[in-house]
Amino acid sequence: MAQKSLKDPLMLNINNLQVEVGGTPIIKGLTLQVPAGQVHAIMGPNGAGKSTLSYALTGRDGYEVVGGTATLNGEDLLDLAPEERAAKGLFLSFQYPLEIPGVPTLTFLRTALNAQRKARGEGEISVPDFMKLSRDVAKKLGVTPEMMKRPLNVGFSGGEKKRMEIYQMALLDPRFMILDETDSGLDIDALKVVSEGVNALRGPDKGMLVITHYQRLLDHIKPDRVHVLAGGRIVDSGGPELALALEADGYDRYKDAA
Amino acid sequence: MALAELTISAGEAALLNAFPPTEAGDAARAQIAADGLPNRRVEAFKWTDLRAALADGIPESDGSAGLIPACLQDALVLDFAPDGFGLEGEKDLGLIIETEDSLELEGAGPLATMAAGFAPRAVVLRVTQSQSRPVVLRRHPGAPMRVRLELDAGARLTLIDTGLATAGLSTGLLEIEIGSGAELVRYSLQNGDTQAIDLTHTSVDVADTGRYQAIALMFGGKLARAETHVTLAGEGASCLIHGAYLLSGHTHADMTTKVVHASPNGQTRELFKGAVQDRARGVFQGKILVERAAQKTDARQNHHALMLSEGAEIDAKPELEIYADDVQCAHGNTIGALDDQALFYMRQRGIPEAQAKSLLVEAFVTDVFDAIEHEGVREWFSELARTWLEASSS
Ligand SMILES: Nc1ncnc2c1ncn2[C@@H]1O[C@H](COP(=O)(O)OP(=O)(O)O)[C@@H](O)[C@H]1O
Ligand SMILES: [Mg+2]
Repeated sequence: MAQKSLKDPLMLNINNLQVEVGGTPIIKGLTLQVPAGQVHAIMGPNGAGKSTLSYALTGRDGYEVVGGTATLNGEDLLDLAPEERAAKGLFLSFQYPLEIPGVPTLTFLRTALNAQRKARGEGEISVPDFMKLSRDVAKKLGVTPEMMKRPLNVGFSGGEKKRMEIYQMALLDPRFMILDETDSGLDIDALKVVSEGVNALRGPDKGMLVITHYQRLLDHIKPDRVHVLAGGRIVDSGGPELALALEADGYDRYKDAA
Repeated sequence: MALAELTISAGEAALLNAFPPTEAGDAARAQIAADGLPNRRVEAFKWTDLRAALADGIPESDGSAGLIPACLQDALVLDFAPDGFGLEGEKDLGLIIETEDSLELEGAGPLATMAAGFAPRAVVLRVTQSQSRPVVLRRHPGAPMRVRLELDAGARLTLIDTGLATAGLSTGLLEIEIGSGAELVRYSLQNGDTQAIDLTHTSVDVADTGRYQAIALMFGGKLARAETHVTLAGEGASCLIHGAYLLSGHTHADMTTKVVHASPNGQTRELFKGAVQDRARGVFQGKILVERAAQKTDARQNHHALMLSEGAEIDAKPELEIYADDVQCAHGNTIGALDDQALFYMRQRGIPEAQAKSLLVEAFVTDVFDAIEHEGVREWFSELARTWLEASSS
């Protein structure tokens, strides 16, 4: 699997992944494939391991991969530093975005964009180009100039933070996006704006993993496939109709599977 | 103590020889002969052991006094070199400069006595009217400085003092009197290497509604200590003391302050931030003493420091001592590591670890510099901090 095949129809390819947190197995042999151009949803009860999966894929310390593989476009992810994974185009919209005191949002984003470009061997974006890009994207996502001047996420409401995550995502234009409960904290109007922003980033050479606890988000971001994660494994997969069934019946029937 | 004299260290012996045969030199010699150099058994020096730092004698002086940055080209520069004192630049009306061979010591403690002892004479600056031109006190490697500064009522002065020796023993004594409604704005910079010992003592006396405002940046040395003793003597006197220490390698920096509120309606604002890595050591000792007469005192002290490596050390001793009953006093002191979660978040966005760390540290210390009114100096200090961050994270 070491060869680099850009033609790999699978963008994200996770095989029998096992992840421990503090010595406790959380992800217990998870297999999941997301082909290019598709959006897959992961649903599951609280504590199922959804966030753990997103942290393991993005390389957070303390989320120890003890078995299995994960590749993006045929390239191994698990040996890379978090910033290297980001430069390969992997983006995580955090369930709980962090506040970064003292670092203005725009400084942060320009630093991130240029760091990724540098890692990919591309030149820096000019300040005027960056300003134009950041303004254009902000307008679409209802991010105010005032928010962009503040230190990143400091004093933002839960909803503003989620909006800011998608704003960052649109600006960095990643190839593979993991959205961890982006819907939580958003009212219905904000949900619409954010979903439109997310949908605009779909494309034939992009992939997405949309993690959610509720079906609501999937009315706006229509998935190609829906997977149920319970007890650290994918216990069911199906089309969008699976999400509707879960909404009606809950996760109880997966209790035993977990 | 007779025994101590028997076990005199090489450094103490060298110092006894080094003081000039002046009144102040004799006083310093007598002090060291009697008490030895301040060391870790002396409470005020428990984390900054001068005897140990000078155990092998006085290190050979090296380095330069540094260039005056472009933003201070209009300044009047007072140079303190081992062989004497010089002046560079224009002097405006309302600034009187004289030298005095013998002056009574205003500063207190062993560092003040030593610094006075080394200085062949004191330079006396008297400010009779506000100065638009800043004054720079530039200490050369191995040089002693003693400055007496008097601000007449209502006068304002911006003072910059630097000590950038890479090696040697450099000392500074500043005795400041701020008159009624007068204001001194001071920016201090210390940078040294592991053979530099830099000792300064500042004593400040502030009359009613006068103000002392000082912002310091220290990179440490083999041992660097900046002592500041402020007495808010008159009603409504105020001070703002900010300091940042950025330490790496085996450097040591000590910021020791004492502010005495002796009259009503005084105000103190202290903010200290430190970032320490490798095997460096940062020391913060901050005392605020509110005397019984000093009602309606409003004093705040904050010290926050980051340990960037396992082997680093930060010692902090914040102290509030309050004898008045109608006061507002608050202090905060934290020592912690960089926020792992914030670091991961930044790295997930593609920012390499070292760069993410330096952004976080820069953001952490930068509010110390926010109080710098002189735009050029603010940019100068911020740039020095940034350069340190880049060098230390690579
Ligand atoms: N940092 C952590 N330390 C200890 N336990 C954790 C940590 N992160 C997650 N867990 C545990 O792992 C399990 C899965 O958590 P998580 O991945 O957050 O679930 P989900 O996102 O599906 O709600 C839970 O039992 C949780 O308590
Ligand atoms: Mg979660």
